[in-house]
Amino acid sequence: MISIQFYFDRLIQAFYALRDNRLRSVLSVLGIAVGIAAVMAVGAVSKGGSYLVFSELETFGLNSVWVYRDRNDKDPNRRIRKGTGLDNYDYYALKDSCCSVMEKITPMVFSSERNIIQTGNRYSNARVSGVNSDYLDINNDHLIYGRNFRPIDIKRRRASALIGPTVVEDLFGKDSNPVGKDIRIGLRRFTVIGVLEEKSRDFLASIGSAGGQDANNRILIPFTLFQQMNGSKAINFFHLKARSLEEADLLSEQAKAFLKRRNGKNYQYKTETMATYIGTADRILSGVAMIGVIAASISLLVGGLGIMNIMSTSVLERTREIGLRKAIGASQTDILMQFLLEAIVISTVGGSLGLVLGASASIILAMITGFPLTPTPLVILIALVVSVIVGVASGFLPARRASRLHPVEALRYE
Amino acid sequence: MINLQGIHKSYHMGDVTVPVLNGIDLTINAGEFVAIMGPSGSGKTTLLNLIGCLDSIDSGEYSLAGEQINTLDDKSMARIRSQHIGFVFQLFNLIPRISARRNIELPMIYANINKADRFTRTSSVLERVGLSDRATHMPTQLSGGQQQRVAIARALVNNPELLVVDEPTGSLDSKNGEEIMQLFEKLNAEGVTIVMVTHELDIAAYAQRQVHLLDGKIDQDKS
Repeated sequence: MISIQFYFDRLIQAFYALRDNRLRSVLSVLGIAVGIAAVMAVGAVSKGGSYLVFSELETFGLNSVWVYRDRNDKDPNRRIRKGTGLDNYDYYALKDSCCSVMEKITPMVFSSERNIIQTGNRYSNARVSGVNSDYLDINNDHLIYGRNFRPIDIKRRRASALIGPTVVEDLFGKDSNPVGKDIRIGLRRFTVIGVLEEKSRDFLASIGSAGGQDANNRILIPFTLFQQMNGSKAINFFHLKARSLEEADLLSEQAKAFLKRRNGKNYQYKTETMATYIGTADRILSGVAMIGVIAASISLLVGGLGIMNIMSTSVLERTREIGLRKAIGASQTDILMQFLLEAIVISTVGGSLGLVLGASASIILAMITGFPLTPTPLVILIALVVSVIVGVASGFLPARRASRLHPVEALRYE
Repeated sequence: MINLQGIHKSYHMGDVTVPVLNGIDLTINAGEFVAIMGPSGSGKTTLLNLIGCLDSIDSGEYSLAGEQINTLDDKSMARIRSQHIGFVFQLFNLIPRISARRNIELPMIYANINKADRFTRTSSVLERVGLSDRATHMPTQLSGGQQQRVAIARALVNNPELLVVDEPTGSLDSKNGEEIMQLFEKLNAEGVTIVMVTHELDIAAYAQRQVHLLDGKIDQDKS
């Protein structure tokens, strides 16, 4: 009858054998511990990186779709046209009757020349964008002071401005509240009605992917007023918000098709979606994470080879013992089990130790970064299962060799 | 109890086949104490290993305690060794890292005896070999004679009908050797069948029957 007692007896035997070679056992336990801890730490770091990039991508508005004129128009039969290919008629048409999955839309208007921005004798080099009152929601922007544009501000071309934290610092000094104060953009005077919350795009900026502009050095004004200042009804591009991330691609197709129906004879259009960027970032990050995990797995593999090495040595050293055990009634299966169990004990103890180390590293990283990197029960389960698998895989060959020893020859071994 | 008919056994060393046993016919009855003797290379140890089911027969018939041995697989051979046979070796073969009691318990672990029974049986067998006060000692803390007694206790603990004994006094001084042989005499008197290999005449004299081997054949068989 095979009972818990049966396994317990064998487990005790394994512990006795490992205790006999304490230093060797401890070293192989450490080998596995380092391997498991490395895999977990690398996993946590790459997960942290992914959270970082994702949180920066979020600052563009996750459901964003951008619609531009496609200037790579290669149709030789078409007249060469200047301009952005988008104007207010397109804006009102899109807003009213395009696209079932579109939630919001804002025109984006820029100036071809740089406007001088100043208050008193302080200057700013901020980039000025003309937007509507939906822009903040679409672009995932928040205000720390003041209020957003109202539709009436846009309609009446009121000289109001939302400014970024860098602009506040340049024009008014750090930590001041400039709401209600005036700034000059070009020849006009604007009243500051709100201050944008700081956005972190350090990582994306460092790899040159922040759209070429500093998110904190922006000034937003009503697009209608900016058009008046520019003397043009042109709109540089549209920034749309889809109802959901999944519908971003659909919205992008709908908007393109809509504009093609309107202006297809003269212009071609292209779109970009945040979803595509997120997908790309996800692929790159999981690629990097994969490389990291593979690299760390090599240390686990080395740990496994360590077990294989000490088990082989152990089998050799205990050849007579194996012969004796067979003589007193152990079958091949008993011997195989005994050595496998020793390997599994080493790898599981090592795995648990590595789990504690790796989990501590993840928790410390989670506390520093504020990202949820604490290992889940699933991760813990996987680490333990992997440890057992490493034990079985690395213990199997030595254990099988032990089980197949001929009792007579084993007993004669010096 | 033991019945060997036309046993042949040879060893392969590379391309060379060395015949060791050339047709052994031997019957040993329950309760006998048999010494197998002969010069080195005569095949006495090989014969003992075959009787102890540690090795397989090339040809011939072997039955032990009513079971046909020559056709059995590894698992069944292990079961036969576990249930019917106890081994005593010249070099004791105790596992050095565990106590006398744990050494004696080993055969019962392979026979799946529960822990409580293991404890009582170990105690009683220790008493039988006169070592009740040495249960928790490690093998290295025991003298040669005491180690051999522990080994005998281990051989007895599954209550086998047959003890297979290989040069039991080869590593002992004459006084300890004598005591061990007296222990075997006592066990034999209690009904255990003993087959022993030795090359020493005075040790063989403890057995009731001496079988002499020469070149893989039985040369003399006298009681």
